[in-house]
Amino acid sequence: MEEILEITLRSIIVSLSATLLSATWSIPITLFLSRQKTRTANIIMSFFNSLVGIPTVIVGLFLYMILSSSGPLGFLRILYTPHAIIIGQSLLITPWIVSLSYEVFVKARNTYWELALALGADYFSANMVMLRETLPDLLVILLIAFSRAVGELGVALLVGGNIRGYTRVLTTTIALAVSKGEFEFALALGAMLVFVLFMIALTIRLIKAYKE
Amino acid sequence: MILLKDVWYLYGEKPAIKEINLTLKDDITYIIGPNGSGKTTLLKVSSLIFRPTRGEVLYNGENPWRDKKKLLKLRKKVVYVHEKPILLRGRVIDNVAFPLVLRGYTPSDAKDRAREILREIGLESIENKRRRELSAGQAQLVSLCRALILDAEYIFLDEPTNMLDIENREKIIELIGKKKAKKIIATHDLALPLQLTGRILLIKDGKLWGEITLDEYRSMFLNIH
Ligand SMILES: Nc1ncnc2c1ncn2[C@@H]1O[C@H](COP(=O)(O)OP(=O)(O)OP(=O)(O)O)[C@@H](O)[C@H]1O
Ligand SMILES: [Mg+2]
Repeated sequence: MEEILEITLRSIIVSLSATLLSATWSIPITLFLSRQKTRTANIIMSFFNSLVGIPTVIVGLFLYMILSSSGPLGFLRILYTPHAIIIGQSLLITPWIVSLSYEVFVKARNTYWELALALGADYFSANMVMLRETLPDLLVILLIAFSRAVGELGVALLVGGNIRGYTRVLTTTIALAVSKGEFEFALALGAMLVFVLFMIALTIRLIKAYKE
Repeated sequence: MILLKDVWYLYGEKPAIKEINLTLKDDITYIIGPNGSGKTTLLKVSSLIFRPTRGEVLYNGENPWRDKKKLLKLRKKVVYVHEKPILLRGRVIDNVAFPLVLRGYTPSDAKDRAREILREIGLESIENKRRRELSAGQAQLVSLCRALILDAEYIFLDEPTNMLDIENREKIIELIGKKKAKKIIATHDLALPLQLTGRILLIKDGKLWGEITLDEYRSMFLNIH
């Protein structure tokens, strides 16, 4: 039981870090793109949209090749560490955050931003109004991205290496348990994962309810 | 005085208004024309929300788009009220107080003023409601109060009466009439120009078709009714 809790906690910390890390670039990129009306911006957006469904093992493989000792970033020596998982997951969910928040920002620009200008706001205040109005939606988007990160297997397995007590997270432990025939343990972990996802969904519902 | 010189505005490739030459200096100017003729676009361009794709919008002879400081300063004196009300999160009273807060009023002063104008329209009972609890007409009233609370120099109103009942319509018309600002009103409310008289301009397919006198308008109006 203690091991299950430890693994769950690690899963949450790793994926939460990945989500926050990803937000630091995904949100500014999207804010910027939502201001552009150029064709280039459109092309960049379709690029992100098409990456939404990318298989997690592909991201894992790509990162493995970069981080392995012979890869371009091999000198960092972070392969098979939680840091590698965090980076991998943050890349994995970037297209999600960008695609989902793009719509939110474009809509907010045509409504709240415009309203603020119409009532005499300067650009700083207009931005604050926009941020205030979109905050609940952004939180929901980050939670969706987080649940995608918690539930993925490919990245955690390939660049985390499933090292006991170090990089072992819920999904990788389940995979290992099943391969060893420890179905009860696997089910207990699975229940934990579903519980985490359920709590995320519940939080999303609460945010939506209090949004007004 | 606002002067539009050969103003165009394009959404993508398609011009929504074109070749607009116009002076706005009357107490009230009406813009009337069919759906999609470009009224909203013309109002947004004239009120410094949209930058014209081509041509110039001049306020007292100067082009504010050339000088960011002037643009921001002017925007404080020019308000535009959306055709479809856009309300912010929070309560009705916060919405109405918002433009005053933007102008540096303390929240409590702003709310006092907001309460006053809401009372004037008879909306004190909804001042603590949130936007999703409002009817369409109530939302429009709130959005109008939020603009009319200011002592602006120019007020642009996009179909201000289209969702109001007769009683509220009269109250809003009275409030608009009392404002010293120059008012530019896009409307499908054919009786409005007869109640609050002003200059009447026709727009069609994005082009200004000219001006009609009140007498011409009256006879057109009587023919329709
Ligand atoms: N955001 C937009 N993107 C693309 N085209 C638009 C947009 N807004 C308006 N248009 C087009 O520009 C033209 C003018 O629209 P506008 O909203 O100014 O008309 P309007 O006179 O206000 O109509 P209504 O009486 O229905 O309010 C229309 O042909 C419309 O299809
Ligand atoms: Mg319109």
